[in-house]
Amino acid sequence: MRVVVGFGNTLRGEDGFGVDVIKELQNYTLENTKLITTFQLTPELALELKEYEEIIFVDASHSDNESYVLACNIETKTQNTLSHHISIQMIVSILNTLYKSFPKFQVCSMLTNNYDNILNQEKYNENILKTVKYIKKSQ
Amino acid sequence: MEKKKIVISPVTRIEGHAKITIDLNEQGSVDDARLHVTQYRGFEKMCEGRPYTEMPALTARTCGICPVSHVISSTKACDNLLAVRPPKASRNLRRIINLAQIIQSHALNFYHLSSPDFVYGFDAAPEDRNIFKLMQTHPEMAKDGIALRAFGQKIIEELGGKRIHPTWIVPGGVSHPITTEQKDNILAQIPQAMEIAKKTLKYFVSNLHKFQKEIDSFASFPSLFMGLVNKKGNLEHYDGFLRFIDSEGKVLEDGVDPIFYKDYIGEAVEEDSYLKSPYYKPLGYPNGMYRVGPLARLNVANACGTPLANKEFERFKNLNNGKPVLNSFYYHYARIIEIIYGIERIEELLNDSKTLSDNIRSHADINRNRGVGCSEAPRGTLFHDYEVTNDGIITGVNLIIATGNNNLAMNAGVKQVAQTFVDGNNITDGALNRVEAVIRCFDPCLSCSTHATGVVTSRIEVRDHNKQLVDVIHRN
Repeated sequence: MRVVVGFGNTLRGEDGFGVDVIKELQNYTLENTKLITTFQLTPELALELKEYEEIIFVDASHSDNESYVLACNIETKTQNTLSHHISIQMIVSILNTLYKSFPKFQVCSMLTNNYDNILNQEKYNENILKTVKYIKKSQ
Repeated sequence: MEKKKIVISPVTRIEGHAKITIDLNEQGSVDDARLHVTQYRGFEKMCEGRPYTEMPALTARTCGICPVSHVISSTKACDNLLAVRPPKASRNLRRIINLAQIIQSHALNFYHLSSPDFVYGFDAAPEDRNIFKLMQTHPEMAKDGIALRAFGQKIIEELGGKRIHPTWIVPGGVSHPITTEQKDNILAQIPQAMEIAKKTLKYFVSNLHKFQKEIDSFASFPSLFMGLVNKKGNLEHYDGFLRFIDSEGKVLEDGVDPIFYKDYIGEAVEEDSYLKSPYYKPLGYPNGMYRVGPLARLNVANACGTPLANKEFERFKNLNNGKPVLNSFYYHYARIIEIIYGIERIEELLNDSKTLSDNIRSHADINRNRGVGCSEAPRGTLFHDYEVTNDGIITGVNLIIATGNNNLAMNAGVKQVAQTFVDGNNITDGALNRVEAVIRCFDPCLSCSTHATGVVTSRIEVRDHNKQLVDVIHRN
């Protein structure tokens, strides 16, 4: 079984990319795939993810220089500033360390710096479809 | 030695952005220390011109951790504008979701933000003093923290439809009733939650002896306390009346309807912080410093009102021979007692047959041009005060956020800890960690209280007698 987690704030322009990808995925029948949307990643999400063999995280990732570029961002952030929302790395670390769960995981990010609105709807939709196509194909 | 200033920036393991400055004199001793909240939100202005019906959803966006608290106070302010009292079932349901919020927030503070200090000590190396290390050395404790937080969050999701920014609580009540299945789902999780809460209490109480110096110096001073109490004078988080007491336990004000809060609370603004400094009006600013939150709530209450929490409440009261507990380190203790209370009370409310009623909402048009809503958020008393036109368009908003109530006390606490632990001639990481840790006792939610963009960061600054920066510790 695999799970696709789309996260972001749909009220903040292109930050809602992950959630919009999940909405599009809901139009298809994906075998052995659970879809989850969430505003942000929180520690207890690990309880929902621990049984899965594969996790795909879909989100928008901030970039000052690039917009509408699809990327895989696995940069490790400093861990001491844990707050009420946590990073993908933190979720994976919780799964590995506490629940001895070692799922394969991927991160599909769309780079953006547009948080007031969706600046280029055409490119935004194109990236949703590309990501959906990739997730469908990678079943 | 010349005068210097230390800057801790950003302050870590708190909700939001802040920095601390510590002024050193020529001898290297601490002259002054200040907490500066460096982010600005501006919800009070942003909401003007919006219909009152949008306020619960708008103000919930103030925060990702305590949105439920804002929705509760906001809808209560809207109830007040409509001049309605929501039906019993919806009041019970609002109480349940508010307590669930308090449980998950308290669990986050205790396990994720503060427990590395309890487990490894305040002098442990920074690379060890974090949740990752805790997961490696104390996995059961880390799992308990996640499970307890999940307990609260699942109740919020079960009732509100989603864990963050639920829109189920509406002016006049709630949007749909609880089902028997939902009730049973929540009840089934209570034994595990209570087991974890009891385990946490046992761990904390049995380790308190290791932290006597911190207990004595972490914002440990006389102050007033404010909180809601019910008609019996017991712990109250949803409704009730304001009670103010002094450091000896003398009741200064009692039975105050929160709608009249402005008669008792003044709001000062300081030039180096975006956080307001509310104070008890009769004593003026800054002498009217008071504390709110778990410690204050237990200090002002006569009892908790549930069996297990009452028992622990008695032990808590004995810490200072029945007088108010003045040591802010005990905020952590009070949080655990409130978790126990919250679990017991949720069970009671779920087993109240009226909770299952379908009568969940009162309807009315605008009947007043001003409405005040007040409730106890995890961090303390929260006020939403709205002014509207006859058509319900917001013309004025005043928010006193739980964390803001503690601003004067947090500043006094930072100064006390800096003067106790910081030696300008030998600045240690352990000393600076304690300066941050005193802030964590209050569990401030700065995103809520200043009305920020960006990432969670924190910063400590050291400046000389000319206010020139000498040292900066920056964390992100």
